[in-house]
Amino acid sequence: VSFLVRCPQCGHRSVYEFRFGGEVKQRPAPGAPEADWVNYTYTKVNEAGVQKEWWFHRSGCRQWFQARRNTVTNEVQESFFPEETT
Amino acid sequence: VSEPSGALTFEFNGKLVTARPGDTVASALYRSGQRIFTRSFKYHRPRGLLCLAGKCPNCLMNVDGTPNVRTCMTPVRAGMRVTHQNAYPSLDHDCLEMVQRFDWLMPVGWYYKTMTNPRLWHAAEPLVRKVAGLGDVPAMDSVSGNYEHGYRHAEVAIIGGGPAGLKTAVELAAQGEQVTLIDDQPELGGHLRFSKKTDDSLAELTVQVQKHSKIQVLHGCYCFGLYEGNLLGIVQPRRDPLDAERLIHLRAGRVVVATGAYESPLLFPNNDLVGIMLSTAVQRLIRLHGIAPGKVAVVIAPSPMGEAVVADLREVGIHVAAMVAPDSVVRALGNKSVTGIETRDARYNCDLVVVCGHRVPDAGLLHQAGARLQWDARKGAFIPTDFPASISAVGEVTGESLLAPLPIPPERDPRNKRAFVCLCSDVSSQDLADAIEEGFDHIETLKRYTTTTMGPCQGRMCQLPAIGVCARQTSRSMAQTGVTTARPPNPGVTLGALAGARHHPTRRTPMHDEHDESGAVWLDMGEWKRPRYYQVQKGASEKQCVEQEYRAVRERVGLIDVSTLGKLDLKGKDVGKLLDKIYAGRLSDLRPGRVRYGVLCDEAGIMLDDGTVSRLADHHFFITTTTGNLDFVNQWVKWWLVGSGWDVYLTNLTAGLAAVNLAGPNAREVLAPLTDCDLSHQAFPYMACRSARVAGVEALLMRIGFVGETGWEIHFPAESGPDLWKALLAAGRKFDIRPFGIEAQRLLRLEKRHVIVGVDSDALTNPYEAGMAWAPKLDKEDFIGRAALMRLAGEPPQQKLAGFVMNEEVLPEDGAAIMVNGQLAGRVTSVRFSPLKQKAIGLAWVPAELAREGAEVDVRVGGRLARARITEQAFYDPAGARLRT
Repeated sequence: VSFLVRCPQCGHRSVYEFRFGGEVKQRPAPGAPEADWVNYTYTKVNEAGVQKEWWFHRSGCRQWFQARRNTVTNEVQESFFPEETT
Repeated sequence: VSEPSGALTFEFNGKLVTARPGDTVASALYRSGQRIFTRSFKYHRPRGLLCLAGKCPNCLMNVDGTPNVRTCMTPVRAGMRVTHQNAYPSLDHDCLEMVQRFDWLMPVGWYYKTMTNPRLWHAAEPLVRKVAGLGDVPAMDSVSGNYEHGYRHAEVAIIGGGPAGLKTAVELAAQGEQVTLIDDQPELGGHLRFSKKTDDSLAELTVQVQKHSKIQVLHGCYCFGLYEGNLLGIVQPRRDPLDAERLIHLRAGRVVVATGAYESPLLFPNNDLVGIMLSTAVQRLIRLHGIAPGKVAVVIAPSPMGEAVVADLREVGIHVAAMVAPDSVVRALGNKSVTGIETRDARYNCDLVVVCGHRVPDAGLLHQAGARLQWDARKGAFIPTDFPASISAVGEVTGESLLAPLPIPPERDPRNKRAFVCLCSDVSSQDLADAIEEGFDHIETLKRYTTTTMGPCQGRMCQLPAIGVCARQTSRSMAQTGVTTARPPNPGVTLGALAGARHHPTRRTPMHDEHDESGAVWLDMGEWKRPRYYQVQKGASEKQCVEQEYRAVRERVGLIDVSTLGKLDLKGKDVGKLLDKIYAGRLSDLRPGRVRYGVLCDEAGIMLDDGTVSRLADHHFFITTTTGNLDFVNQWVKWWLVGSGWDVYLTNLTAGLAAVNLAGPNAREVLAPLTDCDLSHQAFPYMACRSARVAGVEALLMRIGFVGETGWEIHFPAESGPDLWKALLAAGRKFDIRPFGIEAQRLLRLEKRHVIVGVDSDALTNPYEAGMAWAPKLDKEDFIGRAALMRLAGEPPQQKLAGFVMNEEVLPEDGAAIMVNGQLAGRVTSVRFSPLKQKAIGLAWVPAELAREGAEVDVRVGGRLARARITEQAFYDPAGARLRT
């Protein structure tokens, strides 16, 4: 892998500057059934296509952000701080 | 003959060789009369210069200790030491030459056919390794010279400094683009430097490129890979022995591949004899090095193609005996060196055979990057198409002006045991045909079975003929047969260049020099250097030193540097809410001035880290993490804050603060004179924290007891580290204070049965197994891991972390096996000799039903089993009375 990731703060940087934080998932509500928690904790969709992911710019601004990446082509389509979308 | 000015000498197999400026190692050796440059991989057939372009395996030698160096690409340098490879005793007289008489014993795939028994292979391996192969791996530390990595950026990267690359560079630079041009030759110009087609525009173009402020040229650098995101892997060889071999990571906005086309050999029996050279190699020798490579030559070429070559040869006085058509060649004659050519109608004597081979577009980088290669029969070449976005190609690599000298697949039956397709590993056309008979008829399986295209040339010499033979023998077309996948690195890269410089970043605490002066024996903990113990007297053993440090803490007072702890400052109205969420325990009700121990779990209930949480004010907390987990915890906290909308400001103070732990029965008496803070038990009880000045330095004092004695952990500005450290040691002198290291600390905490997360726990440990059932507060509405911990709390754990004492005087190792009834049942996580118990004590994972006072297990010590007794309580001061005085 040697693709570029766009950090919303620092711009396009080598993927080696980042820590991958996994798929973006919705955490269940505190009282949710155990099955939801098991699903949240252990299951990954592992999409072959575009998925929303967490990234941390470890060697840069040290911020967490989210990105939409095509897992087949490694093209990072967009990236943003989560607050910006809500 | 007088030597030209600037002549220099180097060593070849111990003898001095004179070279001219501009020579490569290969051209200088050739001029000195050397004709055999290598012995072949398997049969030890003599091989001489073939391509002179760095594309074939025929000139690999050991240069200054580095094996398998392409000598035709290596500019000669005064004092170089060059030695031959894979020939015994010499290149000219190699005893192993006789191996080729036994070729009938070595059919294609003979490893797979003969080495069917592991014992047989083990017996044969040393011999096979000696006889077959390339250069020897250098011994550890024998390779001199440095390696380093460099990073560059370019709007456009152009690979190849031939006419097409130069022209494109000038055009793009004129449009304002910032261009980096990579060329593997010592001078720009590509084939125009040695072909007769020279026109005056070259000199002008070269000057334009070199002078243009927007064009940067990487001379003599080769590109071995074109990776995702237009990342180019480039090697810049050493220019002199003091220079570093540099691996350049070049990131380009766009890439223009202008690598041109190279020549690859034709297939006929004995096509590998010394003296058979490609036409471009001969032109290089003549024009670049002023060498006439023979007296009488035969040119193998279709007539329009060959005429230019014939003219070149005549120009330097070489007599051309004949020009023969490629399809008329029956075989080359000769034993070591070529002595003639036999055609269907005649025999010609000669000492040089010039082959006008196939021109192959050098499209490996494009293929790596995802372009397709499409067969073009008229050009006799696979032409790159379907380029990825932002990658393009210009010049001969696109197939322009190519013409096949001979049809492929071959019309005649190509099978012959001495018609070599693959020069790197001695694979003949007969071998390929045999492999196809055996069922390896797909180009990819054929490649893997015969190792054709897998040697140092990476298919540059052999791919096209191999596909030709495969297509013919399987009655498929070239397009149907297809090409094998191109992968980097090509050409090869030294492991040293990939590894880069030997940089080991280390972190030192502010008191590093003080430890050094006190005789610290260092321990590497991640990047940190920490004192393992202090060797106060010369010759004292580690055991003695550690025990002295231990006794100081238990009986008097000790001081340890804990600056490596992660230190995070949290301010804001919602810090309590955040801490309640990320810690298993409850922290929002912590009163200012108090400290609590906290455990962090993940959603699966696994323990991630632990540390102290201090509340300094209503909206101000200070947390510590273990040394190795700071980065993780810092990122973890930040992640949970994203989108929370909570009022929390997180600052990492790890590097800004130094920290020490002063502990022991006399700790209070040592500290009191240095501070105004009331240290009495009433005013400053166990698990309390205060801000105060210590020896004039603003500090945070926490009364905690990791080692089990009255003590204070003191955090203060890093710049005051040495001063405060010295002040504390001075104040403690009358109590015979001792600095103590990690070893003593580990022993002290083990007697208190305190768990170290990550040492005694692992990636599957939950608090209930670790004996910390009190830590998770399940009545909190929500925290990370609550759902999992609720379930874990309801089911009895299968294994538990338990303390143990050995029954006899033996010391097991950390990680020793726990055995129950002869079965493996667990493992020791920490074990030390306890001066208190006068036995080894430790923590171990044992089956839950045995994790009770008085149960017995076996521990493997050396080769035998020793009994240990499980204890539930701390070994030292189980009630914690020592901490509360």
